[in-house]
Amino acid sequence: MRVFIDPPNSMILYDLVERFGHEPLSSMAAIQEMIDNLEVDMPPMNVTIDDVVRGLAYAGVEVPSGIRGRLAVWGPLIDAADAAVIMTDAPFSFGCVGCERSNEMIKYLVRRKGIPQISVGYPETAEQAETVVGMIKEFLEGLA
Amino acid sequence: MTIKIAQLSCGTEYSSVQPEIEKAARSVGAKVVYPDVSYEDINEAVRRFGFNPRSPQLKLMIARATQLADKRYDADAVFISTCFRCAEAALVRNELRRFIQENTNLPVVTYSFTERLKASQLLTRMEALVTIVTRKELLARERQVGITAGLDSGSSTTKAVVMENNKIIGKDWTPSGDVVKSAETVLENALREAGIEFKQLEAIGTTGYGRFTLGKHYNAKLVQEELTVNSKGAVWLADRQKGEATILDIGGMDNKAITVRDGVPDNFTMGGICAGASGRFLEMTAKRLKVEIEELGALADKGDWRNAKMNSYCSIFGIQDLVTSLGEGKSFEDVAAAACHSVAEQIYEQQLQEIDVRHPVIQVGGTALITGLVRAVGEILGEQPIVPPNAQYIGAVGGALLSSGMM
Amino acid sequence: MSEERETRLFMISPDSKLTPDQLVRMVHAMGLEATVKETCYGCLVEGPRELVRTALENVRKDHRYEVFSKVRAYPSSDPRRCRAQHGTRPGYAQLEAEWELLPLIQHALLHAEAGRPYKEPEEAKQFPVDDFKKMCEANR
Repeated sequence: MRVFIDPPNSMILYDLVERFGHEPLSSMAAIQEMIDNLEVDMPPMNVTIDDVVRGLAYAGVEVPSGIRGRLAVWGPLIDAADAAVIMTDAPFSFGCVGCERSNEMIKYLVRRKGIPQISVGYPETAEQAETVVGMIKEFLEGLA
Repeated sequence: MTIKIAQLSCGTEYSSVQPEIEKAARSVGAKVVYPDVSYEDINEAVRRFGFNPRSPQLKLMIARATQLADKRYDADAVFISTCFRCAEAALVRNELRRFIQENTNLPVVTYSFTERLKASQLLTRMEALVTIVTRKELLARERQVGITAGLDSGSSTTKAVVMENNKIIGKDWTPSGDVVKSAETVLENALREAGIEFKQLEAIGTTGYGRFTLGKHYNAKLVQEELTVNSKGAVWLADRQKGEATILDIGGMDNKAITVRDGVPDNFTMGGICAGASGRFLEMTAKRLKVEIEELGALADKGDWRNAKMNSYCSIFGIQDLVTSLGEGKSFEDVAAAACHSVAEQIYEQQLQEIDVRHPVIQVGGTALITGLVRAVGEILGEQPIVPPNAQYIGAVGGALLSSGMM
Repeated sequence: MSEERETRLFMISPDSKLTPDQLVRMVHAMGLEATVKETCYGCLVEGPRELVRTALENVRKDHRYEVFSKVRAYPSSDPRRCRAQHGTRPGYAQLEAEWELLPLIQHALLHAEAGRPYKEPEEAKQFPVDDFKKMCEANR
């Protein structure tokens, strides 16, 4: 199944989803689609004004352009997802997940879609890590 | 020499504006760079800075600013930019601007963008950053020498000044039409007043929107953006070459607030959401009141803005307010005062919030001749601005002064 | 192109004795037509998707709990994200942070795959305000 991960650029979540037999839907793959488009020359990411306008499907024009641009990249991933694994309070969310308002909206969009999802907290101890990995494993193995 | 502009930003790549920023930098011989930071640097910088934003990219901006402050990363200027309408980013943007200024000597410009940003909108700002870095010695020039002319091709008016041995000997202005023809007219008249032949001019400096066209036409020695040129003209005219000052230039199309130290600009803001905050709005007001723009200030001086509600956030809505006020039977004097107050209020809300105002405030540009506007600015700032003689000629004087350093 | 090219980073857990150099040699020894670039955290493998995944499977056979992986959007040495051009890319700090968490994940994976149970997460409860009031009053 196609499993959306949040943070969408997390290596750990990408690895776990793949390891337990599913296809992770990540920002890396979405960005690869954009940067490999040879018809667009908008370095570094080839996000165009048309993409930002497409973001209006997820947020209104009064919302800052950076949020609409981000949602234009991730929104379609959520649209395509069959399930989602979400890690909350991750201290690492840099790069393409640098805007907290966009990150909040992503979590909401997943919830609004109503697909199977699991939300785990960021582990600080070995015991918490066992819980996080154990829960994610069970969730992923339980997906049909 | 390529100037390195350190970019501290959030949202540029996802707003489709990063290529525009880089294009603007390239076109003035600069390059955009990002200070290197590690994960640990970010945590430490945020702790030290004391403002912990929720958005990680803003934390990254703080860490990058700290690298510059600690001189662990080498850059020549700083560009701080975040999405328009993002409150969290606006707070961080302004506090980082202050932090950089307190801890480095780097010139800084801040900008909030929408997805519609084009390189041309940033060009003047980027050019000014580069000028401040590369022409420090020229900008320190306090006296004009020889016989030189300055041409300021603005959006509303074109001005010319002829100077000889640190004195203005000829000047003229006209409403801007064709860039070259307007300049030819004013320069001819200024030369006539000065009793000087064109061929006697040892150097010409051009500035304003038409600077490149005029620079080429006259083979000018100096072609430079209006931010640095105007600030030099302002301190020369106001005789404030030493110490600190803030130059406030409410232009026909956009506004500038520039801080200077010993006559050298070190920070500026430029812009305005709408023509509602510019001289253009006052022109529209004068037209509706059927008075000449030159009379508007005196009219406003006799009125009280409190008697007429006006909000010129947008020139269209501003004029609607004006029509409503007149319809309600408000006096022309009160309406003129309200228009001046509204423009001054917006300058305060938009421009002056993005710099740390240094005293005295020197108000220049053609709009400085509108006494009602100067009074309104003074009321809002709690300090009456200095309006130097020939305040409308700052750009042309700056051009004549600086070009004399390039002979 | 996207269907063809895959650039994947292989990250070694800080608790592993495996070095980036050993990992690179291991991938080279597979004889796949993929490029391998050693990095501070492990390596980048780039080539046709099938081959890159074969490399991943082979690495996991020997180092299942020590090597973690995700795809990368930009090809190796892409000037649009080159450190030499602009400085570190924004996602770099993310990788550093995740690398620090890998020993815990490595340990937890071993635990989970051994079929051992995990403790149900506890909801953090706030200190009841009534109790707080009592505490304040007791110390009056």
